[in-house]
Amino acid sequence: MSNNVSLGTLFKNGIFGENPVFRLALSLCPAVAVTSGVKNGFLMGVAVLFVMTMTNVTVSLLRNFINPKVRIPSYVFITATWVTVIDLVMSAYQRTVYKEMGLYIMLIVAFAIILSRAEMFASKNKLLPSFVDGVGMGLGFLLALMLLGVFREFLGKGSFWGVQILPVKPLLIMIMPTGGFFAMGLMMGWLNWIDRKFFGGTGASSGGH
Amino acid sequence: MKDILKITLPLVAIFVVAGIIMSVTYRYTYPVRYQAEKKEKEEALKEMAPDATDPIKVAGTWSADNKSYEYYQATAGGKPVEYIAETAGKGYSSFIKMLVSLSPDMKIREVKILDMNETPGLGDQVLEKSFLDQFKGKVLSQIVLIKGETKENIQAVSGATYSSRGVTNGVKAAVQLLVDKYGAGIKTAAQEVAK
Repeated sequence: MSNNVSLGTLFKNGIFGENPVFRLALSLCPAVAVTSGVKNGFLMGVAVLFVMTMTNVTVSLLRNFINPKVRIPSYVFITATWVTVIDLVMSAYQRTVYKEMGLYIMLIVAFAIILSRAEMFASKNKLLPSFVDGVGMGLGFLLALMLLGVFREFLGKGSFWGVQILPVKPLLIMIMPTGGFFAMGLMMGWLNWIDRKFFGGTGASSGGH
Repeated sequence: MKDILKITLPLVAIFVVAGIIMSVTYRYTYPVRYQAEKKEKEEALKEMAPDATDPIKVAGTWSADNKSYEYYQATAGGKPVEYIAETAGKGYSSFIKMLVSLSPDMKIREVKILDMNETPGLGDQVLEKSFLDQFKGKVLSQIVLIKGETKENIQAVSGATYSSRGVTNGVKAAVQLLVDKYGAGIKTAAQEVAK
């Protein structure tokens, strides 16, 4: 990506064109693991949004300083630093939020999507585009997790954000890990279908883990 | 040789700076977190013993699974109104830490989960009131986990059997301890009344 792409396009790209979960197919393990409920998906998404933005900004600032031969350890360590700082600050000053989110924050260190954005984007671009990319990708991830969460929680528990809507649990399997794969596949296929039918796109082609 | 230095030094610099950032953050957040945790524990204890008027005292420590826990005696005007024990049980993916309170007649008054790391959406269903309220009013011999409908015992949450078992085992150990420590006195007191 060159620098003459407008910031708005970059932002939208993170949410739609290159949505981390449905398009880039990155970080699928956390996307399956935490989306058994809308709330879990939302909290995880917010945590990722923060870390992603901070990592992108730092990597972008240090991009001329980091030696390409050891870039991966540098990126991982930068991510780990931000994750630790956020974890420590939150556990001290935001106890109530931490109790809900603490489970997820430490997992973010190993997320493929954060490493891949540092490698593909932030290491080659200036501060502002990297920041926008981080926010866009983070929001894209957040929305994808919430979409999966709504789908799975509704089918698996008959509820939304913990509030019971249906009197029964229609498909208990949807909140199990197995259901996560079903939901992911169905959702990806459905979004590709929409893309081809209405926007003339080609659908997602890449894959990751 | 020169290349190696060129590669290594910036990396070391990044690691050192990052290390300093983390340790400084730790240095300044640790006291705040320590205070907050202490306060939370006190509040949790107070919630467990609403009848207590005197400050809740640590009565001693006990150990289970090589970990040390505290137990407490809550009193009102010198008379014991509640016995509370810290306890934990091994669930599916974590130790579930709990507080269990007993009334003086050795019936469970409340079970409160302090900390756990069970699977979101499945194991964490043991946090729900419908599961925890089953313990209320039960005595030691009734604390048995059953997979299926039961009023006498404890019914496991479907899809969260391991986590349910963890809670049940933890509660059982705590009740056993409190009955051993204080149950005897209760029995003699009851007999005296009977005379």
